[in-house]
Amino acid sequence: MKILESSRVTGGNEMLELSPRLAEMKHNIREGKHHRFRDADTPDLVTECDAEHLSWNQRASRLSRRMCELERVIIEPDERIVFTRTIRKVPPLYSESALRALTVGRTFHELGPISNICADWGMILSEGLLARKQTALSTRERMHSDAAAVEFLDCAIETIDAVLTLAARYATAARKCGREDVAVILDQVPGFPARTFHEALQFLRICHSVLWLSGHYHCGLGRLDQYLWPYLRDDIEAGRLDYPAAGELLAEFFISLNKDSDLYPGIQQGDNGQSLMLGGVRRDGTDGVNPLTALVLRVACAVALIDPKINLRVSHDTDIELLTLAARLTRLGLGFPQFSNDDVVIPGLVAAGYEIEDARDYSVAACWEFIIPGRGMEVVNIGAASMPSAVDLAIREGLAAGESFEGILDRVQFHLVEQVKRLAERSRKLFLPPAPYYSVLMDGCLENGCDLSAGLKYNNFGIHGAASASAADALAALKEFVYDKESVEPMRLLRALEDNFANDEELRLRLREKAPKVGNNDDRADQWLVTLFEMFAEACRAAGENGRGGGYRPGSGSAMYYVWLATGHEGMQEPVVGATADGRKSGEFFSSSLAPSPDVLVQGPLSVLQGFGKIDYKRICNGGPLTLELSDGLFRGKDSLRKVGLFIRAFVESGCQQMQLNTLNVETLRDAQRHPERHKNLVVRVWGWSGYFCELDEVYQNQIIGRHVYGL
Amino acid sequence: MLTGTIFDVREFTVHDGPGIRTTVFMKGCGLRCSWCHNPEGLSPFPQVMKGSAGERLVGQTFTSRELATRLNQQARLLKIAEGGVTFSGGEPLMQSAFVAEVIDQLNELHVTLDSCGNAAAEEFMRVASRCDLVLLDLKLADPQEHLRWTGCDNRLILHNLGLLAATDIPFIIRVPLIPAVTDTDQNLLGIARVLAALPRHPCVELLPYNQGARAKYAACGMEWRPGFDENIPYRVNLEPFKEFELEASLA
Repeated sequence: MKILESSRVTGGNEMLELSPRLAEMKHNIREGKHHRFRDADTPDLVTECDAEHLSWNQRASRLSRRMCELERVIIEPDERIVFTRTIRKVPPLYSESALRALTVGRTFHELGPISNICADWGMILSEGLLARKQTALSTRERMHSDAAAVEFLDCAIETIDAVLTLAARYATAARKCGREDVAVILDQVPGFPARTFHEALQFLRICHSVLWLSGHYHCGLGRLDQYLWPYLRDDIEAGRLDYPAAGELLAEFFISLNKDSDLYPGIQQGDNGQSLMLGGVRRDGTDGVNPLTALVLRVACAVALIDPKINLRVSHDTDIELLTLAARLTRLGLGFPQFSNDDVVIPGLVAAGYEIEDARDYSVAACWEFIIPGRGMEVVNIGAASMPSAVDLAIREGLAAGESFEGILDRVQFHLVEQVKRLAERSRKLFLPPAPYYSVLMDGCLENGCDLSAGLKYNNFGIHGAASASAADALAALKEFVYDKESVEPMRLLRALEDNFANDEELRLRLREKAPKVGNNDDRADQWLVTLFEMFAEACRAAGENGRGGGYRPGSGSAMYYVWLATGHEGMQEPVVGATADGRKSGEFFSSSLAPSPDVLVQGPLSVLQGFGKIDYKRICNGGPLTLELSDGLFRGKDSLRKVGLFIRAFVESGCQQMQLNTLNVETLRDAQRHPERHKNLVVRVWGWSGYFCELDEVYQNQIIGRHVYGL
Repeated sequence: MLTGTIFDVREFTVHDGPGIRTTVFMKGCGLRCSWCHNPEGLSPFPQVMKGSAGERLVGQTFTSRELATRLNQQARLLKIAEGGVTFSGGEPLMQSAFVAEVIDQLNELHVTLDSCGNAAAEEFMRVASRCDLVLLDLKLADPQEHLRWTGCDNRLILHNLGLLAATDIPFIIRVPLIPAVTDTDQNLLGIARVLAALPRHPCVELLPYNQGARAKYAACGMEWRPGFDENIPYRVNLEPFKEFELEASLA
């Protein structure tokens, strides 16, 4: 990055505070006052579509249209960016039996509709929906003899018209109630290109909301500071807007993203994928950090809600001032920003076959997986390989057979390959339903007359290698005691694993306390972490083509698997793992994403960075963060923010790929368990997302309280 | 090769010198400050602490090479984070030869000494001369008061302070604010007077008093008898330092 004056990096150094108007708006949304508007009817789509014998494509566009039609117009007097959802539920497109009949032999990803990708918002804002419609019409003319293309394009156009009609109804209503300011903006967008920052935000608000209304979820916001900056820059240069006024608009937009968190599907409330990416380089490799980068961070500090989830791209020459500003947001304890290391991610994507310009343009999916906005129809989380399961099976079989350590490693490899193969086989049956509206927002669908669900430039699937540190610890303990020191008889360990250490607490303590552990920059443990990911990457490579012209990208996240692998869950194919060779008893949680195992003593965060920095991330490009909890006590003292900024720099230097820093105070969390009513707004990072602590199931609450906390 | 006894090596410390640091807590201290927050650092010998999480042996023996190797492993990250290594305690000067030997084996790392200065001049300078920064505690200006609250007068400390001020080694004076003990106008004025008389004026940092040592004393099998009222809020008065044109701030 070039040397930047501080004001250019941060857009001014003063911290923002919510205006009374926005403070009130935030309060009302947290209180759910807008829920009273949720009285619009859910359309009965099945009856209508069955009667008209509509195809899936047509049903999908009909859904977008009906939802847009039935949405009641709500313009609150204090709003400058409008759209309030009034339909609670998104209806199904088919009856259950019809759906089953249509998809025999196929599987859906999660809930079915396309999710967890990111639109090309920059393209949409600069073209406008009418230009998109024109594109669709020209393609339709060119491909008029291709019935499938014509049907797709007609459906896409239907959704465009639906959004335009919705916007027009809002404009009319705004005029009627004397809100010419709102009406004028809606006359321009989303039909025509946005001309100002305000128009761009309003454009984004409507088009993003219609994605949710169309049944999509985990709808990403992409590189917001890149695609919105031209509008803000022009406004500033023309004297239409200053930074505080821009911050006010941006804050309102951010608050609006929190209106419907309770309606969004997810494992827990908050897991909704409204993530955005800041910073990094432009497609041509030049520095993309701009004043909006900093403004977003400052506004997110002022808004302090769970959405949007902020990600920041950093590299070896990211300005320390920007890192310090990011640390300010870290201090709030919302669990973001999440940091990704351009120096590692971009080469990893290139190695996985992404064009360099696209690799430089990466953003994140809902949690942490790296995706290219507008250019990917990737399913980044088709499942997780259970590293503890592969290792545990190998150890039990190997011990029983009296095998060498190398023999056990071969078995680990075998089991990982088998797991990935099973996931891959299942994924080849994956059925992605048509998504005409989402197609409008992506690159090439309208141009090629082809629905998004048929694929885009990038079509990979992602598989995570879950609970890697626990699995590595098990191998390390086995090697140390059974093979190197030969102080534990193979059969003794096997018996102890089988009866959950019921009769051998002495052995359990030795495995737990005396064996090398990941987190201490100790090669005796870390080498197995590295090996496991090498094996896993190899297994993904060997799984071959995914049936959609893509491959399988290995990652290092664990989402909810740190709980599921230990306790079982209907959504999981892999078996529950019982007691393990690292001295972990059955039922105890595993390590989450990239973090040391729970309850093991570690030297500290620098050793953790160094240990996890040994992984060859060039082969693990699906993402999955190193997760570190900081004590809020670390933030006392005058230079503390800058020092956390320096820690982010150390993260980059360590060669790690992605990092979540979560600030917490264990006492506060315990108090929130006892007195939830006093901590309604307490936000914590859960895995790839942040949620309200008191709205989480207790099992997740306890896992958070039990994490390693640094800087006490 | 010398060995040393250490009660903690803590990573990512942010209060003991510039940037991000790894702080080595050396076991053993000659003072017995009634407010001491690291009672496990007082005895020079390994000991067992019994806390709510069970028993733990505190006090590990390292050779100078072992410790230097561990610290050098982090040199790259510490340098990029504008930090380095800090020797604290306990009182690192009680193991000055060991500390000096470790420093000599460090790979161009920024080294800070965090000390109360209560050591023979030779031991003090042996370590200080190898450091890039010295954080010197000055708790009480009056020798009698010093004796009363720390079990030791401040003769050596003031002597070493004079020696340090005569070198060009950067140093900062740190004053813990103990309610009604060290935070009095009289004491702060006394300290300011001492500092003003030095050949070069150091910066002064006042360290806020934090409650919460009690549990650690119990874990060490010791009784927490601070001898002052913890619940009185500490006072922050920078005026005495301003009077003598000394730069002072609350840390």
